[in-house]
Amino acid sequence: MCGIVGYIGRDRQHDARDVLVGGLENLEYRGYDSAGVALSNGAVTVVKREGEVSELVAALESQETLAAPIGIGHTRWSTHGEPSDENAHPHTDCTGELAVVHNGIIENYERLKAELRGEGHEFESETDTEVVPHLIEAAMEHGENREEAFCSAIERLEGSYAIAAVFEDSEEVLTARQDSPLVIGVGDDGYYLASDVPAFIDHTDQVLYLEDGEFARLTPETVSITDADGRPVEKSLSTVEWDAEDAGKSGYDHYMLKEIHEQPRALRKCLRERVDGIERTVDLDLEGLDDVSAIHLVACGTSYHAALYGARLLRERGIPAQSFVASEYDRASLAGETPLVVGVTQSGETADTLGALRTARAAGARTLAVTNTVGSTAARECDEALYVRAGPEIGVAATKTFASQQIALHAFALWLSEDSIGSDRIDALRDLPDQVQAVLDDSDARAVAEAYADSSAFFFVGRRYHQPVALEGALKLKEISYEHAEGFAAGELKHGPLALIEDDTPLIAVVTGDDEIAQKTVSNVKEVQARGAPVIAVTDGRSDVEQYANHVLEIPETDPTLAPVLANVQLQLLSYWIAAELGRPIDKPRHLAKSVTVE
Amino acid sequence: MASPTAVVLAAGEGKRLRPLTRNRPKPLLPAGPTPILDHVLDTLTAVGIDDIVIVVGYKESRVQDHVGSTHDGADVSYVSQDSQLGSGHALLQAESAVENSMLVVNGDQIVAPRIVREVLDAHSDAPDASATLAALDRGEVHRYGGVAIEDGRAVDFAEQPDDEGRYHLNAGVYVFERSIFDALHSTGTENGNLTLPGGLQTAVDRGETVRAVRTSGLWADANYPWDILTLARELFEHDVVPGSDEPATGIAESARVHEDAVLQSPVAIAEDAVVEAGAVLGPNVAVGRNATVGPNAVLENTVLDSDARVGANATLVDCVLGQGARIGPGTTAMGGPADVRIEDRVLEDQRLGAVVADRARLGGGVTVAPGTLVGPDAEVHSGATLDANVTAGAEVRR
Repeated sequence: MCGIVGYIGRDRQHDARDVLVGGLENLEYRGYDSAGVALSNGAVTVVKREGEVSELVAALESQETLAAPIGIGHTRWSTHGEPSDENAHPHTDCTGELAVVHNGIIENYERLKAELRGEGHEFESETDTEVVPHLIEAAMEHGENREEAFCSAIERLEGSYAIAAVFEDSEEVLTARQDSPLVIGVGDDGYYLASDVPAFIDHTDQVLYLEDGEFARLTPETVSITDADGRPVEKSLSTVEWDAEDAGKSGYDHYMLKEIHEQPRALRKCLRERVDGIERTVDLDLEGLDDVSAIHLVACGTSYHAALYGARLLRERGIPAQSFVASEYDRASLAGETPLVVGVTQSGETADTLGALRTARAAGARTLAVTNTVGSTAARECDEALYVRAGPEIGVAATKTFASQQIALHAFALWLSEDSIGSDRIDALRDLPDQVQAVLDDSDARAVAEAYADSSAFFFVGRRYHQPVALEGALKLKEISYEHAEGFAAGELKHGPLALIEDDTPLIAVVTGDDEIAQKTVSNVKEVQARGAPVIAVTDGRSDVEQYANHVLEIPETDPTLAPVLANVQLQLLSYWIAAELGRPIDKPRHLAKSVTVE
Repeated sequence: MASPTAVVLAAGEGKRLRPLTRNRPKPLLPAGPTPILDHVLDTLTAVGIDDIVIVVGYKESRVQDHVGSTHDGADVSYVSQDSQLGSGHALLQAESAVENSMLVVNGDQIVAPRIVREVLDAHSDAPDASATLAALDRGEVHRYGGVAIEDGRAVDFAEQPDDEGRYHLNAGVYVFERSIFDALHSTGTENGNLTLPGGLQTAVDRGETVRAVRTSGLWADANYPWDILTLARELFEHDVVPGSDEPATGIAESARVHEDAVLQSPVAIAEDAVVEAGAVLGPNVAVGRNATVGPNAVLENTVLDSDARVGANATLVDCVLGQGARIGPGTTAMGGPADVRIEDRVLEDQRLGAVVADRARLGGGVTVAPGTLVGPDAEVHSGATLDANVTAGAEVRR
């Protein structure tokens, strides 16, 4: 799990150092324990540092590197070898004449490394990646040209990779991918490559998506792509609809807070031209899914919580649906009638989710990707793709994409059962963005966070539609604050976790409406309050939960199926302000990376 | 010459526009179907500005959320003014964000690109000038700031002057060299406020050259809630907001207008908005983003801000609806002229039906007397008759 970038400029219009550093900063969400670049300007110069991209920038300045028209760069999230200068990419061969960056995992690297050592190659790092430059070097020693040597090195690799290489005295960048994302940007001033579009969106929105097994050679004037068998491939350019605007911080201290505040806009985009306020219908541009009899949703992390929500909603609409943690999904999960399998993945590159979708396809299931990333692996591999349209999310903790996933799945459930959509539901969906805005306008979460930031643990509960957001609230808090937090179905509290309750373990309870379900959660709240724990209620004020709560975070009244979207905004703000109070690096929590492209 | 950095002053609430400013500052109030600030930023990019600094303060996250990090290709960054102590104090907050000369405009005043361009040109033609500003020859100078001019040089600044022969209207469009910061630092406050004209007066008194360009063109703002209606009309008249001749040009692509709705130009309908069957809109109606006009509703000279919802058979004339405001079926608010009570003052003969602030809800069959202000989050039950203002969050039963 890392990010790679590359640039080859025409007529020296840009300095590769600027392009690569800018790109790496925009990819830091993919990893940030070390970063490096290789610049090609006749000779190949490698500069790399443990730490964030800012360390690399300082090193580039102190070493007085020269401007270069060509380069590759890397930001790392360690899988093999601790974070260090040596383990940082790029890696070079024995001669230092070529340099390589890599995202993914090379599963057979130990065998390759032993073999190369036997041939006299010397290794400087503990990484799997370092075998690649030595394999290329070895092939070139056997008389192959650069391109042939690169391809024969790639052929030896087992595992997942997006790889790019630069060479001494050569104006080219060679690149290939297998099961790791890679996209090529086509600009007026040269070519770009990256793990993800934000790396070069400041320079161009014209892109080519490389498929698994394909190889590309970039020169200042051309890009040529061949398939695994060496046959030329014609590709058409796609236009990316992201604005560079979405990638800035807009004056906020953290991307996370900016992205929390972007939710009204994200939801508007998610609903636009899908929910028809006159015909009172939902129209999604999906084909061949109208005779679905059962659905499996597969996802990881926050997306899994969206899948839990989606599955409940689908069941409410009369469609049998189950959600699965993607890494636990196997052929046995597919026993019985073959379902439609829906992969929910923000990046579209989550290795566990891609694996589950491939398992499903192998068993003959049709697949749908619910993703934020046009052209992502999930979107391309699945039969159909439903885009959540949240715009780029840079903060490692998913916020707006979770809301957009929920609403995209909501729209999907309505679309599948469109004969019975109530007029009120359409109105409620159309009102949702402004209600999210109302929560943002009036939230007291910051004051509550300041009061409870020092607590020893946090417990989140909710029932039915609120259970997924209880889990999500806890996940968000632990991700960015490093505090212990757990989410439970409210009814489960008394079956064990109640033993953990103390006077400094606040319970955050999500209760909306005033029906029997709400009253049951209120009873659970009473049980906790009677044991001396402080209670923070997230509520629309219709039940009497406020009487048993020390603090209330209010949300507007809405349809019961949409209330969790509003409640979650309060939970996001609570997590954010607790983490801010504790001084955590909110956009880049330790050990975590945004899209996890390793299994 | 590279275009200067533009500084947009957008930190003030605009208190006289209450109750519409409960959740956002005046620059985000609607000018037709989009916020005032969008027009200001459009003007800046139209004259070639590619670097914009916005001074934010009151409800700053709303401005940041709305504009983001770029506008039409120009980079946008933000500085905060924590307490609103005047336009000069606001500009001082941007001191470290500006390197050379700067163009300064107000975020709550719509100015034709032509006016801004003339100030920019005049400033670059006058290398001796430490500042250049736009002066307008139009009435109402007693409501705004005035500038006295001799030989193209500003000699004297006055707030709300009565002498229309001596003073021209200061349009609030300036180009400054960095020396303005020195002048502002040396200027005393007046009633706790430090204003840009105050700083300019200091510069003039020190013998610096402050040029004034007499110009003309669209220059519009809002002082009171009903000015939102005048503003929309002015923008329609100047074709800044399309909608005059060919109604379709004023309708966003993602808006849905039922074929049986009647639009009497000018009408502008923003993205995601819905106009249902039999509704009659216009003239001079702006329907904001994701707003809804129910079946057979009648709207004339009315501005709906985003997410507002008007029920079936409602009639609204000369009305302003805030974001997410709700009007129940059959509710009527007929137009002015009316006497409007604002805090302890009464302003007579204003053309206003009603102002319904953000997320206030009027039930069905409510009758609203002309000139009524309904505060944010207020709830008025069905069948009630409103003949006095309703405060924020209040509940009115029949």
